Amino acid sequence: MNITQDRLKILEIMSSLSIDRASRALSKSLRTGARISLSKISIADFGETTEKMNEDQREMISVMVNFKGNEGCKLLFMLPLEGSLILTDLFLRQRIGTSKECDVFTESAIQELGNILASHISNALVSDFNAQLIPQPPQVHNDYAGVIFTNLVLEQGMIDDKLLLIETIFEISGTELECYLFLVPEMNSFVKLLDSIGVKT
Amino acid sequence: MKKILVVDDAKVIRMIIRQILTRNGFEIAGEAGNGREALEKYKELRPDAVTMDIVMPEVDGIQGLKEIIAFDKQAKVVMISAIDQRDSLVESLRHGAADYVVKPFEDDRMVAAIKNIFAKKQEDTVGSRQ
Repeated sequence: MNITQDRLKILEIMSSLSIDRASRALSKSLRTGARISLSKISIADFGETTEKMNEDQREMISVMVNFKGNEGCKLLFMLPLEGSLILTDLFLRQRIGTSKECDVFTESAIQELGNILASHISNALVSDFNAQLIPQPPQVHNDYAGVIFTNLVLEQGMIDDKLLLIETIFEISGTELECYLFLVPEMNSFVKLLDSIGVKT
Repeated sequence: MKKILVVDDAKVIRMIIRQILTRNGFEIAGEAGNGREALEKYKELRPDAVTMDIVMPEVDGIQGLKEIIAFDKQAKVVMISAIDQRDSLVESLRHGAADYVVKPFEDDRMVAAIKNIFAKKQEDTVGSRQ
């Protein structure tokens, strides 16, 4: 996978702008100060990243969203069970601590939050960069981080041992909530998008 | 009391819309999780209006809208989606949607969208009598 540092920088700016938009939508959904910020954009080694994910032995609730359109992309939002329960309570406007275990409401709340995040990221890319991508129905999974991440990469149809990975930090009301939000763009289509907006370097 | 059919694949969203609308004097006729179920429920329950999500599994909301309008040209369907893109809005309106509400929404926006449908319907009726 070949991508110049200049192009990676542009992808970082595009990602930041779209994640900002998703962050505002998330705050509105949860009715509290929620902030997602970009922590790292990198060409990651599939094996190393999976190994890192495998070290996290906690049970996770995840939502995966595929995008259709000219720009192929996948989003994975994944957080430990305790965090999922907090988000469920906030989303349902309940006192934190009301949700005690993962049930259909937890899965549905995380599914909808994934949908809102994915939709607002695509809204930003469409309006600001003329991308064409529409999120598909989210898929919710309950498993270990490594298993979920491996599924994401397998679905992406890995033909390379590298992937473009966009990692984020997630805060709610000033408290960092441990979670993973990965955007995995399909490299060739995003290179075409960069070409179309004049980033030729 | 006006009866509303709520269509969304997320159970929590159906629950939130149900709560908002019942608090504001509407009755929930039923719920559906995709566009196909929406048409079936529409035929069965004959609601006064429908709230319709767009991104749903099997049959999406745009197709659901088309099929409901094909069955009943007078159907009142409000699209509710996190997709805030021109193409999606234009396609919805072209196929007969009465309004388009972007998620996440304020309660007032949702209620206003439904109330406006009936206000408009009443105006049309008065207008056609004059």
